[in-house]
Amino acid sequence: MIPDSVALAELERDALTEIVNIGVSRAASSLRKMIGDQVLLSVPSIEVVSQRRAARLISEREVSDLVAVRQDFSGPFSGRALLIFPETNSLELVRAVTGDELSAEEVLEMEHEALAETGNVILNSCLATMANMLKRSLSMTIPEVLRGTGASLFEVDEDSAAEGLVLFLYIDFAVRSRDIRGYIAMIMDIPSLATLKELLEEFIARVVGDDA
Amino acid sequence: MIGADHIGSVLAAAGASGTWDWDIPADTLNVDAPFAELYGIAPEDAADGLPTGTFFKAIHPEDRARIRIAVAGILAGAELFSKEYRIVTPRGATLWMHARGRCHFDANEQPVRFTGLLVDVTERKRTEERLRVAQTAGGIGTFEYVDGYATAAVSEEFCRLLGLHPAPALPVQTINSVLDAAAAPLIPGPRGGAMPDGLDAEFQVVRKDDGALRWIARRGEIVREGAGYRLVGVIYDITTTKEQEAALRVLNETLETRVEQEVAIRRKTEEALRQAQKMEAVGQLTGGIAHDFNNLLMAIMSSLALLEKRLPADPNISRLIDNAMQGAQRGAALTQRMLAFARRQDLVPERIDIPELVFGMRDLVERTLGPAWSLDLEFPDRLPPVLADANQLEMALLNLAVNARDAMPDGGVIRITADQRNTVGGEAGELAAGEYIALCVIDTGVGMDEATLARAAEPFFTTKGVGKGTGLGLSMIHGLAKQLNGSFLLESTYGHGTVATLWLPVALDDEARVPLAAAPLAPESSTSRLKILAVDDDGLVLMNTVALLDDLGHEVLEASSGEQALTLIRAHPDIDVVITDQAMPRMTGTQLADLLTEERGEVPVILASGYGDVPPGAQQRIVRLGKPFNQAMLEKALGQAMGGAR
Repeated sequence: MIPDSVALAELERDALTEIVNIGVSRAASSLRKMIGDQVLLSVPSIEVVSQRRAARLISEREVSDLVAVRQDFSGPFSGRALLIFPETNSLELVRAVTGDELSAEEVLEMEHEALAETGNVILNSCLATMANMLKRSLSMTIPEVLRGTGASLFEVDEDSAAEGLVLFLYIDFAVRSRDIRGYIAMIMDIPSLATLKELLEEFIARVVGDDA
Repeated sequence: MIGADHIGSVLAAAGASGTWDWDIPADTLNVDAPFAELYGIAPEDAADGLPTGTFFKAIHPEDRARIRIAVAGILAGAELFSKEYRIVTPRGATLWMHARGRCHFDANEQPVRFTGLLVDVTERKRTEERLRVAQTAGGIGTFEYVDGYATAAVSEEFCRLLGLHPAPALPVQTINSVLDAAAAPLIPGPRGGAMPDGLDAEFQVVRKDDGALRWIARRGEIVREGAGYRLVGVIYDITTTKEQEAALRVLNETLETRVEQEVAIRRKTEEALRQAQKMEAVGQLTGGIAHDFNNLLMAIMSSLALLEKRLPADPNISRLIDNAMQGAQRGAALTQRMLAFARRQDLVPERIDIPELVFGMRDLVERTLGPAWSLDLEFPDRLPPVLADANQLEMALLNLAVNARDAMPDGGVIRITADQRNTVGGEAGELAAGEYIALCVIDTGVGMDEATLARAAEPFFTTKGVGKGTGLGLSMIHGLAKQLNGSFLLESTYGHGTVATLWLPVALDDEARVPLAAAPLAPESSTSRLKILAVDDDGLVLMNTVALLDDLGHEVLEASSGEQALTLIRAHPDIDVVITDQAMPRMTGTQLADLLTEERGEVPVILASGYGDVPPGAQQRIVRLGKPFNQAMLEKALGQAMGGAR
């Protein structure tokens, strides 16, 4: 199902995890400043899966509709990054970010803007860190807020035989006393993933040296 | 002096810990004594700082690349470091270490120091391994949930049990989605409110991966932590147990029903047996009474007859005697019916074609019923014959028809049907297996309630007004059916009519029974003066018989028992004929007849009996005389006996 040219070896997966971890750490520190409360961002676990499987994975975990912040990126490897929340979490996140002083109406008004901003912080941290660590540059579009099911977010086309692949990152994104959790997904085509794999190999050679 | 190796092993056993401080700009590593001890570094060498590459020196080669990557992440800006890896001590021991560190940043968010703590977790690793094996082998999944969070830490086995994609932490919502929406949650949500009372519970879940319906048990403990709480628990699959419980329960339930059914059948059988015993007892009693009654009636009737002969012809006296005689005759008819119920009447079974019999008596029945009632006869084209007494059967049918009429006071149609039914035994009042003809008389009248139905066949039980019925009709039919090896069955619903069914065995082809009374009918001889031996244990009857014979001009010798009769026959070889009662103590009439045959060859014997109790093996030559008999009957029997003797 997943071609060998893009399947990640164990060390490559470790390396990518650490790189995203750096990004997530930066995002957590930014979020902490925004929320003013303890934010736990676990070390992500990574899987490369088909779009269809990614949709199933997320619908298995989340029964409600989803909200996603989307940013497209391009450079040596291109694709689309998604920060996904269950829809029921989104207002909670907005409240966490804006503080509890806003009224319900104000929260609703703020929702779109607050989600886009939060998504931007987290996705930017991750993508910028990746670009930095892999010594390449990436350009990003402005964030966009989407709503839908797992299938619609991952653009699963039932009729299409060719499928894109998804770099699926679970981040356990827990804020004390708030029901918030999220996922990061990067949808890339096979040439982009193959490039990412090559860049990871370079990174490992650099870091590990003779110990590899 | 304590050797360094010894200290190392002590440290390892104690779960040793060491600290490090990595100065990023200066590119040096500072470690404390325990760290140096674990790495086998001389304390004096460690004092001035070490090259940072030393950090990786003792790490197991298989883990080294992984840790280099993780440290690279920290040096590039990742905040937290939490890794487990193996180190190899200078003595060659492999220990599992957990390194937990963090990165410190300067004002420009640039990483400056990387500090951390190294803890020996070898024991924990082994415990974890044991726990993992225990979970996998035992099918037990663990979970831990801290009050207020949206996720719970779970084990791989936990995910497997619920059919979820394995992950170290799962949203509480995801875990609870395996349950029915209305069910209590497996793990309380972040807004669950109050601390739960306990974790011991059972849940029915739909497994996410295969959709299977399973039973899951949850056990665990609630740990209070400040204002909140922490839940530590396990889940395991109890579907098999549940299924076995259910199967056992079903078995138990069926068992109860089966026992109930069994008891009901037994109760019914006991009830039937009691009823049969009651009928039998009543039959015995009735038979006994009828027998004695018969003798009395015979004495009365005979005496009346003789009295009439001897008294001068006076119309006033004759009328009185006639009245007395009529009363006695009605009494005799009543005893006949009682004997019929007691199954002791003389039956003359012959092959009877039921439709023929019923059509033959149609006129009689219709006249008896009256104009408001009509008969509807319904028979199949071909019906095998039954073995029964035609007269008795006609009486029974007439009786049933009259009952049917009485049940429909405003008139109606009475159906008489017959059809062949084969039973395997036990049906319709303990019938033996075989072929039967069911003769039914059906009315659409008032019917009977259960209490009436239960007693309907008892003698003297009647629902008719005083003087309208004897209460012997149905009991007589019941007795008749039993005597013919058949059965009589009444079915009735109050207000919906009655079906009276007479089950009669189909006559077998070779069943050509010779009627008991079929002694060769000889022309009546001129009964000249005979010397007769009369035998009866009842003095009154004996006296009566003697008087009748005497009146006919015969010489009579009396014996009150079989023994006495034998003595007399030896003493009087000129005795022409013996007339004996059948029912005598010690020696019956037939037994006496057999002995007489031995003593005196072909001496004619007349057997007087009110019962149908002459054994089938009795000698054919015996002339039978039904009780009560009058002089004419006695004379006729004498004629037959003497004619047969020739």
